Amino acid sequence: MPVSDAPETPRAINGRAPDAFRVGGWMPMRCFSDDEEVDFAIVGAGAGGASLACRLAEHGFSVVALDAGPYWRPLEDFASDERHQAKLHWNDERLVDGDNPLQLGSNNSGRSVGGSMVHFAMVSLRFRPEWFKARTLLGYGADWPLDWREMWRYYDYVEQALKISGPVRYPWGPRRPRYPYRPHELNAAATVLAKGAEALGIAWSPTPLATLSAPRGLAHPCVYRGMCVLGCSTNAKQSPLVTWLPRAIKAGAEVRDLAMVGRIEHDRDGLVSGVRYHRDGGWRFQRARNVIVAGYAIETPRLLLNSASQRYPDGLANSSGLVGKNLMVQSNQAVWGVHEREIRSYKGPPSLAITEHWNYAPSADFFGGYAYMSQGPLPVEAAATQIRRGLWGQRLLDEMANYNHRVGLKMVGECLPQERNQVTLADERDRFALPIARVTFSYCDNDKAMIAHALAFMRRALAAAGGRDIFEETDDTCHLNGTARMGFSAGDSVVDGDCRSWDIPNLWICDGSVFPTVGGVNPSLTIQAIACRTADRIKTLAARGEI
Amino acid sequence: MAELYPGYDVMAKARTPSWNEQTRRVVEARLAIDPEHHRFFTDAEWLTMKAVCDRIVPQDRAHPVPLAAMVDGKLADGEGDGYRNASLPPQADAWRRGLAALEAEARARHGRCFHALEAAERNALLTAMQQGLLAGQAWAGMPSALFFSARVLPDIVAAYYAHPLAWNEIGFGGPASPRGYVRMDFDRRDPWEAAEARPGHEAQAQRMNARVGRT
Amino acid sequence: MSPARQAHLAAAMLAASVLADSGVEHYRGSFYNRAMFAPLAAAAATLAAGVAGAMGSRSRFPRDRVYALAAIAGVIGLGFHAWNILKRPGRLSWENLFYGAPVAAPAALVLAGTIGAAADAAEKGKRSWRGLPLGRLLAAVSALGLAGSAGEAGLLHFRGAFQNPAMVLPVSGPPVAAALIAGAAAKPSKGLRRIADLWLKLTAALGLAGVGFHAFGVGRSMGGWRNWRQNLLNGPPLPAPPSFTGLAIAGLAALALLEDGADG
Repeated sequence: MPVSDAPETPRAINGRAPDAFRVGGWMPMRCFSDDEEVDFAIVGAGAGGASLACRLAEHGFSVVALDAGPYWRPLEDFASDERHQAKLHWNDERLVDGDNPLQLGSNNSGRSVGGSMVHFAMVSLRFRPEWFKARTLLGYGADWPLDWREMWRYYDYVEQALKISGPVRYPWGPRRPRYPYRPHELNAAATVLAKGAEALGIAWSPTPLATLSAPRGLAHPCVYRGMCVLGCSTNAKQSPLVTWLPRAIKAGAEVRDLAMVGRIEHDRDGLVSGVRYHRDGGWRFQRARNVIVAGYAIETPRLLLNSASQRYPDGLANSSGLVGKNLMVQSNQAVWGVHEREIRSYKGPPSLAITEHWNYAPSADFFGGYAYMSQGPLPVEAAATQIRRGLWGQRLLDEMANYNHRVGLKMVGECLPQERNQVTLADERDRFALPIARVTFSYCDNDKAMIAHALAFMRRALAAAGGRDIFEETDDTCHLNGTARMGFSAGDSVVDGDCRSWDIPNLWICDGSVFPTVGGVNPSLTIQAIACRTADRIKTLAARGEI
Repeated sequence: MAELYPGYDVMAKARTPSWNEQTRRVVEARLAIDPEHHRFFTDAEWLTMKAVCDRIVPQDRAHPVPLAAMVDGKLADGEGDGYRNASLPPQADAWRRGLAALEAEARARHGRCFHALEAAERNALLTAMQQGLLAGQAWAGMPSALFFSARVLPDIVAAYYAHPLAWNEIGFGGPASPRGYVRMDFDRRDPWEAAEARPGHEAQAQRMNARVGRT
Repeated sequence: MSPARQAHLAAAMLAASVLADSGVEHYRGSFYNRAMFAPLAAAAATLAAGVAGAMGSRSRFPRDRVYALAAIAGVIGLGFHAWNILKRPGRLSWENLFYGAPVAAPAALVLAGTIGAAADAAEKGKRSWRGLPLGRLLAAVSALGLAGSAGEAGLLHFRGAFQNPAMVLPVSGPPVAAALIAGAAAKPSKGLRRIADLWLKLTAALGLAGVGFHAFGVGRSMGGWRNWRQNLLNGPPLPAPPSFTGLAIAGLAALALLEDGADG
């Protein structure tokens, strides 16, 4: 079985781009020539890059967004099949090492126009306000050069842009406006979380999700097919494919698919001058007045390091030596049990219920917080949790026979930034002859203490809701952040609060890489909020003549 | 073991609104895989590979899921996973080296080919691999436990649970687009889902399962 | 059509809506509880009685008992639905009001039964029912029903985030009709009755148009009508809007009784 019938050649060419809403459809797109010096070349069209492309184009800048992946039309390109839909992942080799080598590929990478949001689980959460001053207020990690009240306004904006379906009243944190769409119905797996939380006396909530609970334009409401992490074939999921990108293209941005940027070039003054990228069989060079790197926490540092030159021998924007450092994941451990009643968790979005209790009522045992959510693994993923326990043969088959009664709770926990966790370049090269990334990760004691706390608590909650024969899945992580952190000075960070690199004023970094700390919630909403803020800041700075 | 979902065949749904054209193409291609066809493995490796698959996922059916052929296809097409433990060689090399090393262990211990061993003997060797107890020359420094946990199990088990026969076995609803699901509460099933055989109600489940393709 | 027959027609219309709606909704609920068949039986009998009454049938069939049974079934249904909501985690929460058993739906059976009982009394030439003047009684039931149904539509259209501007119509129009009919009953005034008459006719038409809007909603869902097994259940409910039509017809019957000056 070939990985995909992924388009081998670019689709977004000749003045048009695929229209995600119509089978075989196109929308007109302004196209720039390589020689035309655009205001912004954006590397990566995922959560960060797509929202930036949209907002910058809407602010009147000329924008080209380049993405290594194909430009899909979900209605016709996405099959209901776990194995086939691996075509949405970043499947090129990366090396993993450290005490706790990460699993990459499926749940934390994406190679598509739209990025990993094309197959994300749609969980759209705000940071706890104090996390933006984690060092000052909570005593760990680092402060952000951003004010939570300002971020709160950008969260409002992104939630509207994605028509997030969420509870009428959210139980935690400062007041927030009502979610644009109402919450989805709970499935049995989510009800188990709710019952467990109530038994233990903590709050729970329907999860705010970026999938429609009612129609929106040409997008269908969710049909609860449960294959969200394989890519949504109905357009209910509000990924960049159906939100930011059509807006961006309408506003005059160009999106280039299957365009792998291998190097950022600079001129004699040390300012970046454009990007060298591979598309349609050859290397090309797009001139740009500014370059914004939005490749997520592995490809972003990899590109900056691969762009090393005589003038910048350690890579671009790396005078602090922090490019690639402080890689943060989120701990993603789970407890799984068997319920007497049929759960059939393959129905509906996988994480319909959540508790953020331990984000807002932190334990004395560790720094940081965690949320946990209900789960709905499809068969291959469900089997993966069993083989991580080392099961095979008849024991594996016996455990999998409980598939429709299996129910679990899974954490998203805040790992602390550590410089030893990092992305570096390996000796091996990929199909573009570019050095591949080596990703080194080890938990620290604080991470381990939090995981132990979460597993013990989730075990009690699951048992209280009728879970039997409970086992722990101890070896999983999710999300990737850090590696180009924002901060207060050129010595302590790679970029400032506007995502502008300290070293090169026309080089920007805007994706999950800039997080100084990672929080105990899924990062996509925060990445988009930062990107929307950055676009507004760029407009302000440009008006003042500071760009 | 009696069937948990008697008479349930997810393929009966292939022409219902639960499946779309692109999904039919993908799954039908998988069903058309020739269980004996191999492009990546040599003939010798192929025998070992089939004997490994047979132990990792024992199958008691006339036409088993062609696990070895599915893994062979992945390797022949160079489908990556997006990452690799730095202590392992690339997947193709890892498989060749691992199978050769397993074969060498079988000959050293039993004087026979791995595929000629009894099931219990093969299980014992695989268990030793899982525990990292195999470290002969043929491994050339590749940790056998890591090979087992990061290559053998994921590649074979992911192939198995991607197959409709496995979906039938565990009562998975299978492909679902354009039609998804309506009834999501405990113990509720849509008429196009597998019905579980409760003790004493097997015939009822059988009747319901006969209808999933007609709804 | 006489006010009595008109009121029978109203009861029939409302019962038809309940029959179809509870049929679909309880099918979605897999008739998990045997009691879920009860409203179907009650609504079917009410429908038959109402149609017979509207056609002026002189059969000796005890229609009043059917109507009384329908009302009782409705009251019991209210209890079941409240229990269904309150047993869920979150108890009386928005989530459960959205997705639990619809809290006010069984009230439609109570309304159908009451309207039918009033129709039956009017048919027998009575001017009051248990001491209540018929015109005012029917007006009150119609007003209450319209206001309540508007509330239910409001809750469910809020669940749908009022994504289509037309979704405000059943929330804004029927309460006005309810106020007008209540006003006409409270204060005899020809002018008020005329406005109420017009507004009730519009409301009756809105109920029928609602089926069209909902059919559009079903068709624009994923898979369209080919996926009817899902979209009829998860899309906007086709049988719900005609309850407005039934209640508006009851209001028109009330107006006619009030007009007769029997009690106004």
